Amino acid sequence: MNPIWLLALVPPVAFACGWWLARRSHVKRSGARVNELSSDYFRGLNYLLNEEQDKALEVFLRLAEYNRDTVETHLALGNLFRKRGEVDRAIRLHQHLVSRQGLSDEMKTVALLELGEDYMRAGLLDRAETLFSDLVAMDALAPSALRHLIAIYQHEREWHKAIDHARRLEAMTGEDESAMIAQFYCELAEQSRQHGARTEARDYVRDAFACQENCVRAHMIAGRLSSEDGELEQAIASYEAAIAADIAFVPEILPPLLNCYARSGQMDRAEAFLREIMERYHGISPVLALTRLYEGRDGERTAIDFLTGQLRKRPSVRGLMALIDATMDKVSGEARENYLILRDLTRKLLEGQAMYRCSRCGFGAKAHHWQCPSCKSWGTVRPIHGVANE
Amino acid sequence: MRLIAIIFLLLFIAAGVVFGALNADLASFDLGFAQLSLPKGGAMLSAVLLGWILGGVTAWLGTSLGHRRRRRRERKVESTTTA
Repeated sequence: MNPIWLLALVPPVAFACGWWLARRSHVKRSGARVNELSSDYFRGLNYLLNEEQDKALEVFLRLAEYNRDTVETHLALGNLFRKRGEVDRAIRLHQHLVSRQGLSDEMKTVALLELGEDYMRAGLLDRAETLFSDLVAMDALAPSALRHLIAIYQHEREWHKAIDHARRLEAMTGEDESAMIAQFYCELAEQSRQHGARTEARDYVRDAFACQENCVRAHMIAGRLSSEDGELEQAIASYEAAIAADIAFVPEILPPLLNCYARSGQMDRAEAFLREIMERYHGISPVLALTRLYEGRDGERTAIDFLTGQLRKRPSVRGLMALIDATMDKVSGEARENYLILRDLTRKLLEGQAMYRCSRCGFGAKAHHWQCPSCKSWGTVRPIHGVANE
Repeated sequence: MRLIAIIFLLLFIAAGVVFGALNADLASFDLGFAQLSLPKGGAMLSAVLLGWILGGVTAWLGTSLGHRRRRRRERKVESTTTA
């Protein structure tokens, strides 16, 4: 072979070299950009963790502009918008993600779930319901979608649907949702009781017990139903069972229970029960109940002696107020004026106090709620034990 | 690393100069529409340079055009969803 022909190979080899070098420098440049992007991502994450949402938003927006392929960044951005209350922007962003071509099914499902949450936040519950129902039908991210659906049905007070979906969630995840389902049955029982459908209400109470054997609320509804039907023994048994199930609910249960004792003329039994409760429960409610009982039966002196004795053992503003009220008539002149000031002061102290607190999110409330208004957990709002509370 | 690259570059330049000096006699090229007489070494180095530049330009066009096409498609999808 003539070596001159080898020279003909030189231009193609030079071409290949030039092509390879240009490609290599491009890859290097994009690599540098990826590094820049990931450092930006972590900066944004850092802002998020430090609760500096404005700065995080700025960084993530820039990141999304740089690289339109970063689905996770878009999702994070949508979440941020939603948390800041800019739901319309979050909806637009997630809608854009869902309609984007070439997105993997997995990512599309996540975007749909996020979109559903946006709708929920915006109050468009019907749209959110449709979306979550579709996701459940597709069996995509079904547990999360089911949880959202249950939240929607709770909000709309559609308890039957909530029960159905909670059972599906239970079957799907294997998690025990019986306490929540029992609460749904209790809601149905309350509804029926208010509409006068007493048999139906009793059936729902039975269903609640079938879900959760020691459901305090179901015991209380059963007690109330029996009490309203004049079945006082039955009512007393239900209320006592409620206290046995969870002693923390004594302040809620004592008033109707004492009412049943009084109506059936069993004040000695009431006294014995309250004394027994006082051993186990360290709040002020049973003390106040016993004080009232002694006041009616044995006279004011015995009641005051009992109350002062108990207040030394368990100091309480509510107890002090009861003591002031009980002894008010026995003083006059300047001492009475001082008593009045003291009474106003204790009343004001109690007015500003939350009596119940959610053990899950810390939400404080003056009245008892079976479902926490803040975190929507069931049966977590309980009486606060302290000098100014229970 | 950079020093090694510079040394290599200088070596190649020196080799090119030597190659050009050793092949200084003219060679005539008939391009059909024109006739050229170039030193053999110069012609050889020009061919290498031209091939290298063409390769680079081809690679650059390939990546940047692909990138532009993808941006255009995304913008189109965006405008249809926001409309």
